[in-house]
Amino acid sequence: MARQTIDVLSASPDPVVVPSGSCADMIVNHYPELLAEDAVYGSKARELASRTWELSQLLVDGLGTTDAGFRTSVRLAYHASCHGLRGLGLRDAPRQLLGAATGGQCVDLPDGETCCGFGGLFAIKMAAVSNAMLQSKIDSIESSGTEAVVATDVSCLMHIGGGLRRRGSHVRTMHIAEVLAGSDHE
Amino acid sequence: MTEVRDLVLGAVRDALLRAELPHSSGERPFYVVPPDRTAADDLVGQFTTALVALTGEAHHAESLGATSDAIADIAGVYGAASYLSWSEVAMGCVGLVETLTSRGLRRVSYDLPFDQPGRNQRVRALAEVGLGVTGADAALADSGALVLASGPGRGRLASLLPPVHVALVKRDRLFPSLSALLAARPDLVAGGSNLVVIAGPSRTADIEMTLTHGVHGPKHVHVILIP
Amino acid sequence: MSESTSHGPAARTDGPTAHSHGAAAHSHAEAHTAGTAFHTRIDTALADGKLRQALSMTTGRLAAGRATAFAALPAADALRDAAQRIRAHTIAHLDQYLVEFTANAERLGCHIHWAETAADAARTVVAIAQASGVSLAVKSKSMLSEEIELNTALESAGIRVVETDLGEFVVQLAGDRPSHIIAPIVHRRREDVAALFREKLGATADEVATIPAMTAFARKTLRDQFVNAGMGISGVNLAVADTGSLCLVTNEGNGRLTTTLPRVHVALLGLERLVPTSADLGVVLQLLARSATGQAMPVYTNLLTGPRRRTTGSDSGGEPDGPDELHIVIVDNGRTRLLGSELAEILYCVRCGACLNVCPVYRQIGGHAYGGVYPGPIGSVVMPGIEGLDRWAELPQASSLCGACRDVCPVRIDIPRLLLKLRAQAVRESLAPMWLRLGMRAFAAIATRPAIYRFVGNLVGRLGTAVARNGWLTRLPGPLAAWTMSRDFPAPAAKSFTQSWRPKRRAERTHA
Repeated sequence: MARQTIDVLSASPDPVVVPSGSCADMIVNHYPELLAEDAVYGSKARELASRTWELSQLLVDGLGTTDAGFRTSVRLAYHASCHGLRGLGLRDAPRQLLGAATGGQCVDLPDGETCCGFGGLFAIKMAAVSNAMLQSKIDSIESSGTEAVVATDVSCLMHIGGGLRRRGSHVRTMHIAEVLAGSDHE
Repeated sequence: MTEVRDLVLGAVRDALLRAELPHSSGERPFYVVPPDRTAADDLVGQFTTALVALTGEAHHAESLGATSDAIADIAGVYGAASYLSWSEVAMGCVGLVETLTSRGLRRVSYDLPFDQPGRNQRVRALAEVGLGVTGADAALADSGALVLASGPGRGRLASLLPPVHVALVKRDRLFPSLSALLAARPDLVAGGSNLVVIAGPSRTADIEMTLTHGVHGPKHVHVILIP
Repeated sequence: MSESTSHGPAARTDGPTAHSHGAAAHSHAEAHTAGTAFHTRIDTALADGKLRQALSMTTGRLAAGRATAFAALPAADALRDAAQRIRAHTIAHLDQYLVEFTANAERLGCHIHWAETAADAARTVVAIAQASGVSLAVKSKSMLSEEIELNTALESAGIRVVETDLGEFVVQLAGDRPSHIIAPIVHRRREDVAALFREKLGATADEVATIPAMTAFARKTLRDQFVNAGMGISGVNLAVADTGSLCLVTNEGNGRLTTTLPRVHVALLGLERLVPTSADLGVVLQLLARSATGQAMPVYTNLLTGPRRRTTGSDSGGEPDGPDELHIVIVDNGRTRLLGSELAEILYCVRCGACLNVCPVYRQIGGHAYGGVYPGPIGSVVMPGIEGLDRWAELPQASSLCGACRDVCPVRIDIPRLLLKLRAQAVRESLAPMWLRLGMRAFAAIATRPAIYRFVGNLVGRLGTAVARNGWLTRLPGPLAAWTMSRDFPAPAAKSFTQSWRPKRRAERTHA
C-alpha cells in the first residue's frame, strides 16, 4: 500500500497536503523507515516525505500565515491528536490557526494531549480499554463546558464523536479544516 | 563457574553481531559538566535552602565549644542521652567526644568482628541510641545532600540506625552538584566500601502517595556547618 | 479484593516472613494461557473503581512530578541525549564492560556468579544462603528477584525471606504482586494496609490509626528482621565498570540497612545494567529520580564497592561495619536474546517507571492486568523479548502507539517503534489473531486496486446510508461490532470525495 500511495502521489512533483496528522506522520516519518531497504522506493519515499505537509503545518510553516481568513463563532476546545503531536511535532501551528479563526476563543482541553483511545485497529482489538480511554476523554470534554471539540485528525473525531453521541452529549466535533473554512454547521 | 561465565559472555558477543543499537556510535566525552563559578558563600546558602526544603535543619558553629553546644541542644530536643559517631579524626573535630561527655552525652561504640555469624547481636544494644554524629566528605548545594564515605573510624551505622543524624560539614567541602563532585573527586567512589549520598530524612509515599518520614533510616537530619 | 483473588491461594497467617510468592508463580502460569486470560484481567481491572481512582491519582502525581522536575532542570535535553549515548555505548560494548566490571569487583573481594536462566540465578542465591548457614534473609526491592521468583526458591529451601521496602512488605503480607515498578502498592488503600497489619502482624488499632503510625509500626517490626538476618539481598540500579561499584538508590533506607547489617550481601544484577564510569553514573542519576517520582535526588544513593574493607596492614584497621561478604549474581534470563535482536534498544532502560505513569493504557488497567513481572510500555517489549512472543503476543497489541512513553523516557527509547517490530513479527509467526491477518490482507488487496476500491466503497456507502439513522450507525457487523459496543459510527457521506470533486474540477476547467 505504501508503494501504491507513493506512485500515486509522485505522479506530480507538487507539494502534498494531508488533512490528517497521523496520515502525514505515516508518509513523512514511517514510509522512509519502512522502505529504507527498498532499492527503488527508498529514495522515492524520502522524496515524497520532503514535500508532504499536514494542513496546519502547510499554512503556518509552509505559507507563513496563521490566519486562514475566516471566522467562526463556535466555542471550541482543542484535542491534540497523538501522531501529529509527537510524530510531526505539531504543537503551535494548529493552535495559532484556531486562535485566529475563533478570535482567541479556542481553549486546550484538560488532558488535551492524552490519547483519546482510537489508535487505529486498537479501537477494535482492545475495545474495552479503548472505550475506557474514550470515556476519560469525554469526561474532560464535558468538564470543559465546550460547544465543540476540534482536532487535526478525523479518526480521533469519529471515535470521540461516536462516544459523545452514544452518551447523549450535545458537544459536536469539527475538523480543523471545517473551522478554518468558517463553518458553523455540523 | 568460569564455564557459565564464558557461556554468558559468549552469548553477549554473539548477540552483539546481530544487535540493532540506535545512537550507539557516540564518543567520549558523553557529557561535560558545565563549569560552576558560584562563590563558596553562595554554595553554602544554596545548600542550606535545599536542605531545609527536604525538612533538614542547618546550624552554624565557629568553634569546638559551639559545635558541642549545638549537638547537645539537638540531643536535648529529641531526648537522646547517647550517640554513635565516627572517630574524631574522621569528623575533623578532635576533642569533640570529651566536650560532649561533659555536656552529659555518652558515646556508644560497637565492635563487629569479621566473619562471625552472631555478630549482629552486638547491634541490638544500639537500638536505644537516639543520635548519630558523623562528618561529611562533601555536601551538594543543588540538592542539600550529604556525601559520606565509609572507612576506618567511619561506620555506616552512625548515619543509619539512630532516628536523628547530625553531620558536621566543613564549609570548604561544598560542591555544586553530584556530577561536579564525581568529576572532581572520582577517588571518593572506591575509597571505602560505601559511598552514600544522603538527601534528607528517610521517607516513603508507598501508602496512598502520602509522604511519611523516618521509615528505616533517620527521621531527622541536622547539618552543622563548621570552619 | 478483586486483585488478590485472581492471584491464587490466600496468604498464611503466621507472621510477615511466612508468605511465599506462590501467588506470583500462579500468575505466571495464568499468562501461559494467553488470549482470553489477558482480556479477562483487563475487564476485571476496568470494573474495579477503587483501583482506577488509585491509578489515576498515583500516576497523575508521579507524571506531574516528573514534568515539574524536568521543567526546572536546566540541561534536561542535553542530559537525556548524553544518557542515551552512554547507555547505547555501554550496550554496544557490553562484553568489554562486563569483563572490566567483574575484574574490578573481584579485585576488591567480591564473589562473582553468573546465571544463564532465572532458575540458575535462584539456585545460585539459595546455594550462597545455604553455604553461609542463613535461615533468614532481608530483601530490598528488586524487580529482577521477581523475574527469577527468588522468594519461592528460598522458601522452598527453608529460608525465610522478608521484604523490607514498605510497599513490597505489604505485597508480601498479602500474598500479592507489585503492580508498578516504583510504587508497588498503587492498587491498595490505607484501609487494606491497616487490615493486613492487624490480621497478619497483630497490630493494635492505635498502631494502624494513621499512615505515619503504620509506617512507624513497619519500621519497628522490620528493624528486628534486619538485625537477625544472616543475608541481605538487593537489586542494583546501575553497576559502574571502572570501579567495580554497585549503585543502589532508595528513599526509605532499607537499601542501606539490607546492604550493611547482614554479614552476607547478595546483589542481583541484570547483565545490561552497567555504565562505564562514575561520571557516566552521575549523568544518569541526574535523570533517574526525576523521571521516577519528580524528586531531584532519591534520599539514599549508595555506591557499594566491595565488601567491608579489612585491615590493610599498615594503616588504622578495617571498617567498623558492613557485610563481610559481597556476592554479585549476574543474570542473563533472556537479555542476550533481546540483545541479539531488533529490540535491543529496550536494554537501554534504567527502570525509572516514567513510561508507566504517562501510558494512557496503563493508567486505565494498572500493572496486574498485563500479567507479567514488568507491566506497561516497558513490559510490553521486555516480556515477549525475554520469554518469547508466543507467550506474550497480546502485549504489543495493547497500545494505541500514542508515543507518550517515548516523550518521557530518560534515555529516549523509541518504544512505539519496538512495538511495531513485535507486531510485524507476530504477523510473520502467525501469532496475530486470524481476523486481523486476513482482514488486513483483504484491505490491502482492495486498497491497491483503485477500481475495486471505488466499487467496494460505493457499495459500503450505499449500504451504510440505507441502514443509518439520523446520520449514524449504531451496530456494525463482525469484529467491527466492538466499535459499536460503546460508540456510534458516522454514516458514510452520500457521495465519496471523488464523486463530489470530479464534477467541480470539470466545471472549473470548462470555465478556465
